[in-house]
Amino acid sequence: MSHSFATKPVQSNMTTVKKVQNQSGDSMTSNSTRRRRWAMPVAAVAAFTALSSCAKDAPQDTWQPAGENARKINDLQIWPFGIAGIVLLIVTAVVGYSVFKFRDRGQAIPKQSHGKPALEIALTILPALILIGIGIPTVSTLFELAKTSDTECVVNVTGQQWWWEYDYPAQAGCGGIEKPIVTSGQLVIPAGQRVLLRIASRDVIHSYWIPKLNGKRDAVPGRVQTLRMQADQPGIYSGQCTEFCGLSHAYMRMEAVALDTAGFKTWVTNQLKPYTAPTAGTKSSEGEALFITNCTRCHQVNGILGSDGKEVIARPDKYVYAGVAPNLTALMTRTTFAGAAFDLQTAACKTKLWDTPSDQFTAAYLEGVTPQCLDTVQLREWLRNPTAKKPMYADPTKLATTGGKYRGMPNLGLTEDQIDKLVAYLTERK
Amino acid sequence: MFTTGSKLFIGASVVALASAIVYGTTQDNSTVGIIGLVSATIALVFLVGINLWVRDSNVSADDTAAADTAAATTATPPGSMWPLVAGLGAALLAVGLVVGRAITWMSIIVLIVAMVEWMVQSWSERASGDAAYNTMVRRRIMHPLELPVLGAIGLGIIIFSFSRIMLRLPAVAGAIAFSAVSSIVLLFGALLAAKRNVGRSLVATLCTIGAVGIIAAGVTSAVAGSREIVKHEVPSFEENTCGTETDGEADIHASRAVAAKSNLSATIVLSGGKLHAEVIGVIGAQDTVTLPRSGYSYVRFVNLDAEPRRLIADFGSEMVDVNGTAVETSFKTCTQAVGQDGAQFLVVHPVRPSNASEAPFTFNVPGVEGGVVTIVVP
Repeated sequence: MSHSFATKPVQSNMTTVKKVQNQSGDSMTSNSTRRRRWAMPVAAVAAFTALSSCAKDAPQDTWQPAGENARKINDLQIWPFGIAGIVLLIVTAVVGYSVFKFRDRGQAIPKQSHGKPALEIALTILPALILIGIGIPTVSTLFELAKTSDTECVVNVTGQQWWWEYDYPAQAGCGGIEKPIVTSGQLVIPAGQRVLLRIASRDVIHSYWIPKLNGKRDAVPGRVQTLRMQADQPGIYSGQCTEFCGLSHAYMRMEAVALDTAGFKTWVTNQLKPYTAPTAGTKSSEGEALFITNCTRCHQVNGILGSDGKEVIARPDKYVYAGVAPNLTALMTRTTFAGAAFDLQTAACKTKLWDTPSDQFTAAYLEGVTPQCLDTVQLREWLRNPTAKKPMYADPTKLATTGGKYRGMPNLGLTEDQIDKLVAYLTERK
Repeated sequence: MFTTGSKLFIGASVVALASAIVYGTTQDNSTVGIIGLVSATIALVFLVGINLWVRDSNVSADDTAAADTAAATTATPPGSMWPLVAGLGAALLAVGLVVGRAITWMSIIVLIVAMVEWMVQSWSERASGDAAYNTMVRRRIMHPLELPVLGAIGLGIIIFSFSRIMLRLPAVAGAIAFSAVSSIVLLFGALLAAKRNVGRSLVATLCTIGAVGIIAAGVTSAVAGSREIVKHEVPSFEENTCGTETDGEADIHASRAVAAKSNLSATIVLSGGKLHAEVIGVIGAQDTVTLPRSGYSYVRFVNLDAEPRRLIADFGSEMVDVNGTAVETSFKTCTQAVGQDGAQFLVVHPVRPSNASEAPFTFNVPGVEGGVVTIVVP
């Protein structure tokens, strides 16, 4: 009853509250009002915190490890978080109690004392013991994460503004790769194998991070940093550059795709397939000619022949600050482009692929971008004006600081007809 | 009418104003200078006003009540070193104008310090009739300036002395000596903390002895000169250059540079007349190295054989347009000769893929049959 007595006037009219307080001198109403004033924000923060931890669509959630290395990090972080949480609660409770209990009420200043050796020693030793307790597994895990002697597959990862290049050296590892493979945007690895990424940069410092598979590793120009990567199951795992690297840092994304062993072999075979020229007289064939004229200065398509019958070798070092541009040989075997920032397939197909169970994922991914799933809208927008899609330093009048070289793809001024032809050619690159 | 103190500031105000007028009429783009000089004039006029207002704290001849309390009647100001310092500064300024800029700047700093200290001291000595109060006032004004500056200078001297000692002592002895010294300092601090009634004079004496000891050792070390510091290998940053093989043989102590050995693209080792590569993250000796295209890759060459050898990174040749003429240009980068157990860096920057060249890209050692490692640039 007292509750309704106290709250009703508040809901109806504040003046009534004041009257009640003034008339009766009862402080219950004001206390209740104060509590209600605090209750809502506290409840909102608590609810937000609780609900945010339940997010389902969180592809970069570090608390959902999907590989051996990420699991080690996760196992390591749970205990310190727990201990830190307990310490936080104890400290907060003690501080809160002290502040409330000994608040200034006009009382005399209590007798001052200096030092309590036993307590001080205890409070020095206890945190030291906690830190030692945390330190031992931490150092041990660091060594485990730095291990390279059990590598089964090596991939060189090189960052540049604003995309990642992956090159697979010829090796006996990864199930055997006969010739080097160069791709970008999506790192494809065999599931269950211990893959070692050798990470570097061509321009500024970047940082490679696929949260579900391992921690971060900086990509530093001139240095090779290693990062272990292993996915338990076939699937696709999202990541992004985590070192601010310039204008389009936010668009410098990456995806790790894990395929089963047989599927990975198929992927390797697909990447090394000889070049297939478009059928003469088709729109795609005209697109090939346009590609050679406009695009091969920077973009390599392995095996593409020039008018002299020799393979055209792209020379991005002459035009691009980083000295490279994405290799487009098997563009349609991956589902993204431009630094994994944009999709080559429809949203529905993308969702379907990401949600595909792991036992069916390899087959689904190896289908590549099927005609049913192909979404050329973003690709066309990109070809129409790349800098409108992704901010880049590609204004030819503002390249003095880079010696006239682009950082990103410039607007080539293509007509709609040329874009049609290029899209027809590119969508056959699989 | 004008007090002694105010005359100084009146004169300075007139000089500042005249300077502003002369400067403004004779110099182009003189806005900043004029602002500075007019600001100085305003500040000096303000000080004139204060001096006139307080009458230099002089006591009127008619004010008999103040006869016993006025500073001029009760205490003789102590001697001041600042005129001496200012004189030294002026002399240094003259010397500096002849000898060099460093002494000139030093003299200007000395003069500024001396002037400020002298002015404040003079003012404080006449602030009241109470000498103790005057001293306290001077300290209150000057200590916030003096203590941080003197502290920084003192610390700077000690740190500089410390660095001289470190440079003089052998590397291992330096580590041992300063571990011992820091332990003693820690022990001393712990003893002081435990025994709170230690006399201030004792602490001050010990600190002084320590500081003087460090400074003396620093001076001695500086005079004696630093120890011989081993020169580590110099990376070859120049692209496409292969100078004389024996130009500056690489340093045999190169292996001590831990940081330089880590995170390399490859280490190329010549051993028993054969060349192999050690690649970070790849197990075992390799005969092929993959290097990123258009990226700078750091490679370390280690020669374990008796003969001095050099490593050549050969990225083939291509026709290059030189002033409108196609000229075949080879792309090679080399180390200098490396003696037995020596090492040297090589920085390579291949811009073409290896499949663009008919001849394979290689690391090779001239004069060594088995000295080839293939380079793949995808």
